[in-house]
Amino acid sequence: MSIESIQLDKVSKRFRLGATNEYGRLTEAIASGVKNLFRNSPAPTTIRVPDSFADRIGAGWFWALRHIELSIHSGEIVGIVGRNGAGKSTLLKILARIVTPTQGRVGVRGRVGSLLEVGTGFHPELTGRENVFLNGAILGMPRAEIRKRFDEIVAFAEIESFLDTPVKRYSSGMAVRLAFAVAAHLEPDVLIIDEVLSVGDQAFQRKCLGKASQLGAQGRTVLVVSHNLAAVANLCQRAILIRDGRLVADDVPERIIDQYLSEMRAGDGQRVWDDDDSAPSSPEIRLRSVSVLGNGSDAPASEVDIDQEIVIVVEYKVLVADTPCCVQIQVKDETGSYVFWSANAPSMNLEPDPWFSKPHPTGTYRSKCCIPGNFLNDTRYFVSVLIGPEVGVVSVRHDSALSFVVHDTGAMRQEYTGSWLGPVIRPRLNWRTKKQ
Amino acid sequence: MANEEDSIPPMQFYGPTDKFGFGQLAEIWRTRELLYSFFLRDLLIRYRQVVIGILWVLLQPLMGMLIFMGLFFVLGTNAGSSTVAFAPIILTGMLCWQLVASSFRDATGSLVNYRHVVTKIYFPRMLLPLASLMCAVFDFAIGSLLLLPVCVFTGTGLFWSTAWLAIPIALWLVLFCAGCIAWLSALNAHYRDVGYALPFVLQLGMFVSPVVYDVERLRNLLTDKWVWLYEANPIAMCIGLLRWSLLGTQMPSAIGMATAAVITVLVCFSGLAWFQHADQQLADRI
Repeated sequence: MSIESIQLDKVSKRFRLGATNEYGRLTEAIASGVKNLFRNSPAPTTIRVPDSFADRIGAGWFWALRHIELSIHSGEIVGIVGRNGAGKSTLLKILARIVTPTQGRVGVRGRVGSLLEVGTGFHPELTGRENVFLNGAILGMPRAEIRKRFDEIVAFAEIESFLDTPVKRYSSGMAVRLAFAVAAHLEPDVLIIDEVLSVGDQAFQRKCLGKASQLGAQGRTVLVVSHNLAAVANLCQRAILIRDGRLVADDVPERIIDQYLSEMRAGDGQRVWDDDDSAPSSPEIRLRSVSVLGNGSDAPASEVDIDQEIVIVVEYKVLVADTPCCVQIQVKDETGSYVFWSANAPSMNLEPDPWFSKPHPTGTYRSKCCIPGNFLNDTRYFVSVLIGPEVGVVSVRHDSALSFVVHDTGAMRQEYTGSWLGPVIRPRLNWRTKKQ
Repeated sequence: MANEEDSIPPMQFYGPTDKFGFGQLAEIWRTRELLYSFFLRDLLIRYRQVVIGILWVLLQPLMGMLIFMGLFFVLGTNAGSSTVAFAPIILTGMLCWQLVASSFRDATGSLVNYRHVVTKIYFPRMLLPLASLMCAVFDFAIGSLLLLPVCVFTGTGLFWSTAWLAIPIALWLVLFCAGCIAWLSALNAHYRDVGYALPFVLQLGMFVSPVVYDVERLRNLLTDKWVWLYEANPIAMCIGLLRWSLLGTQMPSAIGMATAAVITVLVCFSGLAWFQHADQQLADRI
């Protein structure tokens, strides 16, 4: 009954490292062309790929995706999960045909619509009306269909009176509304949505996901990349997990999310400077490592549960005897605003730290700072480390030494799909109401 | 339900397979509505916030013609042919040259200027340079109307018996431009040097082609032995042929015509294959 609508056969994609921030120069191409002519070796575009990829990065190339085998049936809503840089967006771009795979082939049945960005191709000089037609055409709508649905689109965007005004005079909100209105009337057989690349507007993201579930209900195929795990769990019937360019799991969303979260926890959450030269240091002090411990375990984790105590551990080495040390941390959120600042000074401590500002004999020291559970919000935080002889004096510092993400695992499986966007912290406080 | 099954679109595969890029042509045909949208966009944008609007299409070749006529008048040289008035000679040259120059210029930048779209959504990328070409052709078509008043004004008779040939000749020129812009636009996406070098190449090309003078002037200089090489340049050939068909100047040599035709075909096929090849890495490299 259900037919295959997307099929990927051993799809791999590699990128040239460093090529993104440097324009390819013609002279280089000619030089390498001439070299190859004499060397009689394969031209730069010919690709020899070892059967097993020893490493993801090799000889100036980076494998963004390796041997992806996937088939998706029509009517399925599939979520793609993976950490940043795992290759999710590349996979979407390959499906959307923006990027050609280096190896393998991709099969898609029917019209593909991709929403990797709103308002792709909007031109500021054109009027709203002209842009609806242009944008619709770029998204793959036939002109007749745009004409048929034009009034609907305009009504949806609520810009009737500005139709013949150039979009450059629109407020940004109006432009986004119009762009979304066009996208929302797109009816492709396969819809590809990248929430990460879309504008960060919460309302828009919710609309995007709403559109996705509506299309899925109509028997169309939808692929979603979302960092919002709760949304993936609610929306999708199937999810795939991508790690380091490989498809590692393909299952129901709940199981994939579990696997993803446990992998994240097993992952980083730690920054170690093995090499003495690169470590942030002063003549007296050298930073050894910074780690985040959470989830009630002693293993470093970059993703921690919201209801568990979060421990930040700073390890440093005192190189000169009798150096006074005071360890300080700064925690900022993604927007860069300060969440808090703390040091092992008595004024900021529940119990005084015996080593605070004392002359330290040479050796390695570990300072721990415990952030209570149910205090931070479910978002990403950045930790900066500063060490100095006393509070406010810094001799060694490292900004954004590491980041960690707090997860609201409890709310995740519930109906609420949004995140607590806005507040920097989300403490559980003591509330009581009494009748007077 | 059975009907629905029948209407299921076939699975379309793509990947690093196509070699010669002929598939692109079919795809361009399928997406012709989008091509029209891009063309319309380019056309609309060009004359936004411009007071005299579309009149510029007529003014540009006219001004070009007047400038060069004035220049040659001051210099006291006669760059025209011995039999036909100079004004229509130079106007046909100017019109053709503006078709070449503006299509090359706009098309070369078309992919790069539109990279925020190219990296976000798929459509046959060839549509962007083609839309630029369509704009240039539009200008050419409108500008050609000038030929009539100029001929009447200078008392030149149009050769109506061969004038219909002007259409296939113009199409030849357009085809050659299409091949060239396929090369230029994709090259520029990979190597921005192309965009910088283009103005100089165009400047040179204007004098290498008989834009502001008639080929007759060169005939004596080049002698019959070399004139075919000069005429192998499809732009020179088309301008020469247009003047012959409309104004009755001397017809270009058959051997030159054959060479120019071969070059045109080569440029078009190689352009198609190169564009296809470049397209595979376009979003990564642009």
